[in-house]
Amino acid sequence: MLCDQLSSRERWDALIRGDSLDRVPCLQFMLGHTAVVNGKPIAKAYDDAATSLSCQRNAMELYGHDGLVMHGWANSGGAEFGGEIEFPYRKYTGAPMMKRNPVQSEADAWALKVPEDFLSVGTIPVALEFSRLQNELGMPVTIQVGSPLTWAGSVCGEERLMLWIMKKPELVHHVLGIITDFILKKAEYWVKTFGAERLMAFDLCIETNKLYSPKQFETFAFPYLREIHDQLTAAGVAIFLTHICGEQNKNLPFWSQLSYGKRGMISVGKEVALSAASAAFPDCVIMGNVDPVIVQEGSPEDVLALCKASIEEGKVHPGGYALMTGCEVPPQAPPVNVGQMVPACREFGRY
Amino acid sequence: MLDEATILERLSRAVMDGDEDAATQAANDAVGAGMDPQRAIMEGLAAGMAEMGRLYEEGECYVPELMVSSEALYAGLAILRPLVVQSASGAIDRGVAVIGAVQGDIHDIGKNLVKMMLEVSGLAVHDLGRDVEMDAFIDECMKVKADLLCLSALMTTTIIAIKDYLPVFKAKLPGTKIMIGGAPLNQRLADEWGADGYGENAMEAARVAIRLLEG
Ligand code: B12
Repeated sequence: MLCDQLSSRERWDALIRGDSLDRVPCLQFMLGHTAVVNGKPIAKAYDDAATSLSCQRNAMELYGHDGLVMHGWANSGGAEFGGEIEFPYRKYTGAPMMKRNPVQSEADAWALKVPEDFLSVGTIPVALEFSRLQNELGMPVTIQVGSPLTWAGSVCGEERLMLWIMKKPELVHHVLGIITDFILKKAEYWVKTFGAERLMAFDLCIETNKLYSPKQFETFAFPYLREIHDQLTAAGVAIFLTHICGEQNKNLPFWSQLSYGKRGMISVGKEVALSAASAAFPDCVIMGNVDPVIVQEGSPEDVLALCKASIEEGKVHPGGYALMTGCEVPPQAPPVNVGQMVPACREFGRY
Repeated sequence: MLDEATILERLSRAVMDGDEDAATQAANDAVGAGMDPQRAIMEGLAAGMAEMGRLYEEGECYVPELMVSSEALYAGLAILRPLVVQSASGAIDRGVAVIGAVQGDIHDIGKNLVKMMLEVSGLAVHDLGRDVEMDAFIDECMKVKADLLCLSALMTTTIIAIKDYLPVFKAKLPGTKIMIGGAPLNQRLADEWGADGYGENAMEAARVAIRLLEG
């Protein structure tokens, strides 16, 4: 058994400061899975702040991860603008889903407004409570800030949004502007309440090149991401954590132009090579990119082999590297598989 | 009078350009010229969509472009399809299909493309949408006497639903062939779990469907 020189807390702090590390850290984005290993319904990771936080902290300790504890999901935004959301209580459900998008027609889209009582809409109350608890415990306070285009899919319905991108670009820009205003208003409140230096802003972004062209990314995703990142950096937000989901190789030149505060942390999927991420983000921490499907369906040996490959490719990155799955840990992944990751860091990730 | 080759070319071009008006016009011209509507669909509209599918696979076009192409395709179909039943070739009525994304899964972009390709191939498709429970599939298949049931799942959490459903469907729907698809699935899993067919993309889904129904 190889021993660690740093505690998880020390390793996280060193990673953020850019200090030297004893070994590659292991960070995980997992919500549903933490509920499962705690014997709770998956939905509790999403709709109940206190349970979600305690499930995540317990699982982090169980596996020896060095982070992440956060509240959010890709398909968000729709509930905040009046849509109907379902939390994953039913069989086979693994994450919240939209049951009805708030925007169903062009008229709805033109009428879209930032809600007056923005603190009480959708899942904001749970997110705020989650942040309060993080703050009380002295943890980084997380806030989901994007991406606007991903949120627009949740607000309008993805297919409708894509048709409008082709046929009504001005309508799409209108929606994206409102969503961006909403996110900035929410962020302003978080900054005021918790202090910018305590915040870790995160984006979950599904605008992959399986869906959108790099040109569409440049036109409909990039300007709004830039506005948010610039404003929050100017407000003093120190850490940005951006999950670039799926196949986004052609979008990397845009992602690399954003500001990421004092410390950017970039998580990539299995479709983006860690060497490519390293080249695009020399100063950011990069995280990834173990295939989540293998973490669920493969053997422990398969997972260990993938971890080894990721560690060897990522470890040399000058900005810092942390082992992570390429997307959320599947809720039903066997714990023995998830449990391969920290030992892999100890065995293959020593500095 | 327009020659058939020109009309076919205009039909597929209209689909590729995502131009609904042009598709409507070309379809009307096909009718005016007395063309076999099934040929106009397959060699005109569907050929254009197949080309778009190929460009998508090669990373030369993206889903928003596929969406507008599919709108143009449906505009043309609305005119040509009703005429096929009365046509000499009688190629329509390849069968009745039911399609849906399984319980827990709201990914439906790919499923909708599959549905479209099945429709242009001459199947009557009943779409149950997304997040569809097992019993809803069974009820619908019985109600419409489905020849083919198509299940879509995009996540590791939901392919498990397909695995669970298959033995039940086999027992309760003996006359219905089952085809599955979605990114995490493959031919090996389809065989292992006892599905009759698997398709990697929409084009292949249509080919496999026809094979299953004719075989
Ligand atoms: C768009 C998208 C979404 C959209 C869906 C919008 C919609 N209306 O469909 C939104 C934002 C809602 C979403 C939400 C989530 N998503 Co999502 N999403 C995607 C994404 C980016 C693209 C999928 C897509 O549309 N591809 C384009 C189409 C054309 O391809 P396709 O779906 O594969 O379909 C083709 C073939 O598979 C085949 N096919 C499909 N169905 C069928 C059926 C039959 C019978 C046949 C023969 C063939 C066939 O033909 C199709 C056409 O050629 C993928 C990532 C990726 N790159 O694949 C993730 C992805 C599928 N999502 C994922 C996840 C985890 C989620 C969330 C859980 C995220 C979260 N934590 O909130 C939620 C869950 C929502 C739910 N309960 O279902 C994961 C799944 C991981 C896994 N393997 O388990 C993926 C792979 C992302 C990743 N990198 O991890 N997502």
